[in-house]
Amino acid sequence: MADRKPQLFEQTSQYQHWRFTPSSLAKLRAENNRLGVDRVLLGLQQEAQVDDQGASDTRIAEATDNLLTPAEELKLIGFYLQMIKFCAKVYMTSKLLKPESLNNVKATAINFMKRFYLHNVVFDYHPKNIMLTCLYLATKVENAFMKIDDFIRPLAAADAKSGSKTVTKSEDVLGLEFIVIQSLQFELAVHHPYRAAYGFYLDMQQYIEDKDRLRDVYERTAHYIDQSLHTDLVFFYQPSQIALGAFKLAAKDKDFDVDLYLTQRFDARSLELLFLALDEIQDGITGFAQATKEDARLIDRKLILCRNPEKNPNSVLYKKTVVAQGDVPYVSDSDSD
Amino acid sequence: MSVLASAHQQEIPAFQADDDTCPQCKSERYLNKPMKLLVGPCYHKMCESCVTQRFDAGPAPCPVCERILRKAEFYQQIFEDLTVENEVRIRKRMAMIFNKRQEDFKQLKDYNDYLEMVEDITLKLLYDEDTDEAEFLIEKYRRDNTALIVKNQTKLRREEVIQRLIFDQEQLKRQQQWEEQKKQYAKEEREKAEIKNSLITALATSTMDAKDIVKAKMIQLKKSSLSSRNAMRSVQFNYDDLLADVDDGNDLDEGEAESAPLDPAESPYEPVNIELMDRYDDPFSAFRQGGLTAAGVTREMHQRYLIEGALAGLFARPLDDDDSVAEQQ
Repeated sequence: MADRKPQLFEQTSQYQHWRFTPSSLAKLRAENNRLGVDRVLLGLQQEAQVDDQGASDTRIAEATDNLLTPAEELKLIGFYLQMIKFCAKVYMTSKLLKPESLNNVKATAINFMKRFYLHNVVFDYHPKNIMLTCLYLATKVENAFMKIDDFIRPLAAADAKSGSKTVTKSEDVLGLEFIVIQSLQFELAVHHPYRAAYGFYLDMQQYIEDKDRLRDVYERTAHYIDQSLHTDLVFFYQPSQIALGAFKLAAKDKDFDVDLYLTQRFDARSLELLFLALDEIQDGITGFAQATKEDARLIDRKLILCRNPEKNPNSVLYKKTVVAQGDVPYVSDSDSD
Repeated sequence: MSVLASAHQQEIPAFQADDDTCPQCKSERYLNKPMKLLVGPCYHKMCESCVTQRFDAGPAPCPVCERILRKAEFYQQIFEDLTVENEVRIRKRMAMIFNKRQEDFKQLKDYNDYLEMVEDITLKLLYDEDTDEAEFLIEKYRRDNTALIVKNQTKLRREEVIQRLIFDQEQLKRQQQWEEQKKQYAKEEREKAEIKNSLITALATSTMDAKDIVKAKMIQLKKSSLSSRNAMRSVQFNYDDLLADVDDGNDLDEGEAESAPLDPAESPYEPVNIELMDRYDDPFSAFRQGGLTAAGVTREMHQRYLIEGALAGLFARPLDDDDSVAEQQ
């Protein structure tokens, strides 16, 4: 079939630019971390030249001792990924987000944040801020726009309640927006397993008689898809494959057989490969471990010492150079080409 | 098609001015209404009678520039400006010889180079620079490409014939439609008049209530006009038969006639075959919750969209390390 036309999903930016293998993803993250560390050390040296109060040697030594590994970075990012879910629920209860767009907004925000940290490091941009920008961007991308004042209000209220020194302002969210979009390489369309899972629910009805139990299974599927968002599966597999994996897990919980549908619907030869992928997806979803608050707090404490002073508004270097020059405090990440 | 050829085809009248005067016999249009001013290849004008007088016996020199001319070389001018006339003529001649088309070339660049070469020669002729060289180039090209020139000329003629046939047929079709419509309207008018007449007689003779009679007749009237509208059909023509007539006895380029018909609405992607069920058990439908209010979105479209999402990339192979290495290189 030489003149076979391309398939639609092959044209998506997700398929073309955001697929990796486990090893290439790990390599990319390690390389990214290395470059980030170099930037931190360079920034600290520059700071030492500007800073006239001395004590810079101990400062550099402190930072070098506390540099984060790629795994620690991931754990910190993972913690804030979970926060996205929490934030999105807050907006839904205050009627700013419609329940039917909750899933997509949440999933898109999570995806944006993951893609962002493929080309950036936590030394430069703290995930706490990036999380908010990604979430706000996702509401716009998924057609669930809210005003920035509405977006900020619950966050500022939470800050005031917890008695933290800084209160979130709208500039904190909007200032990072362009940097985030640029790191996403201006590709904002993200495809999620939710739609595919719904499609399977409908399609299975042709082969499965027991509609009530099928509905139970489908309702359970959302739980596993939520979990899959926090894993790296989205970089390896197609949304439809992940949805089917989640379906199988849900079916296992409810004592239900999805394979019956698959064998009737598709031919056996193509299923062989699919089953391999599905097994790996199921392992990936069940193997997901939540990042705890304690872990995040420990890593965050280390991060305070090794932030890149070039991007840290509280650092001496930032105050002396960037602010003194009156430049827009935008620094592109040196990794993206 | 050159400007001149189309001018002849559509019978654009030759250029005439009220104050035309023949430079030879000095006769004026004011006195001699049907006078025809002709132009020779050297672009000096002369009236028809002067041309006959001077060149009937054979080639003779032009009275102005002494160039040797023949009677057959004179023609009526179409453009007022003689330089335009000259350019059109030169271009027409060039188009006859340099009639290669883009499909004769393998690459666009070759075609562009060829066009530039032709334009260079044309400009040489236009501005009378190196005319000998230009003529030499033309002759050389003509000798090298005789077969192709003839082939392209027949192709061009065939296209012109088809064009004209299609144009004629369309006109005929329009006329027939118009007549059909006229007939239809006449019939409608007649029927209306008949119904009216029968209404009057019914009112005069019947014992029924006048209101009921009028109501029944009005319904009849509406029905008749509707049915006649529906009967109106456009006259269909089959262009394929038409083309087959033209192609008879003509050498066709191989495979040209066999290309599949182009469907402008065809999707550029591999189609997904989905057979929807009549009814789905779907308590989560966005239609129930009052979502999806965009105009034109139907429940079926949404279901199809969802199932397409389920099938998209289901059998896509995940990248493996060999692929990503190959991609990076």
